[in-house]
Amino acid sequence: MKLESAFAGFLSLAMAAVLLAGCANQMEPAKKAIADIEAAVTAAGPDAAQYVPDQVQAVTSQVADLKMKFDQKDYKGVIAAAPALLAQAQGLAAAAASAKQAAQAAALEALKGEWTTLSASLPAAVAAIESRVNILSKSKKLPANLDAATFESVKTGLADAKTLWDQATAAQSAGNLEQAVTAARQVKEKADAALAALGMTAG
Amino acid sequence: MEEKKQPAASPADSAYTQWYEVKSGDTLWKIAKAVYGDGSLYPEIFKANQDVLSDPDKIKVGQKLRIP
Repeated sequence: MKLESAFAGFLSLAMAAVLLAGCANQMEPAKKAIADIEAAVTAAGPDAAQYVPDQVQAVTSQVADLKMKFDQKDYKGVIAAAPALLAQAQGLAAAAASAKQAAQAAALEALKGEWTTLSASLPAAVAAIESRVNILSKSKKLPANLDAATFESVKTGLADAKTLWDQATAAQSAGNLEQAVTAARQVKEKADAALAALGMTAG
Repeated sequence: MEEKKQPAASPADSAYTQWYEVKSGDTLWKIAKAVYGDGSLYPEIFKANQDVLSDPDKIKVGQKLRIP
């Protein structure tokens, strides 16, 4: 009887050892699976966080679930779920690149539209201001609504606007639309200020 | 003096072309005095409106003039 009991004890220990060994065998692959997914998320880079934040969040949330399973020693569960999540993580870079390209194309279209609008109106605005400034410069006395200091600032603003417009058109010719639009916006600011100071309004 | 605008009347006009509608008692001198502070600059207005003015002394009430 004692022998039987001892054997049963030994068997239990042996089975527990086999189970532990099995778990240990799955622990490393599970650990590696999680690490691979995290590496794929990292490889997607900051573009993924910027352009596909929802997808990054979905993957990181599922990684957190996997880690919880890992902590609960559910290595089998981790290994079962990992391939799909790894594929999802590996797709982040491509999704980010695609979203970035779309965003850049949209930004370029917006810049083109803004340049079209500004380039259609600013030369006429600057010409109108220059014409008025040239005539007022011949005046023996400025009109009632314009003092000398304001007129001087208008002349300075006009000179700045002309310089900036030259820079804008040069940048546009060189293919740098962003710089062109930035300079053109500054021209518009100067022109609007000059027009307001001169009591001139655009129709 | 109030400056008014009207739709471009010639290819040279733009959204920034300034317009003035002639009122009773106006002369180009008076308009120039009001807009430029100096009536002697009236030829500038006359030159800018030669498509509608043949004589600087002959402007009509209601006429819309460019103010360069």
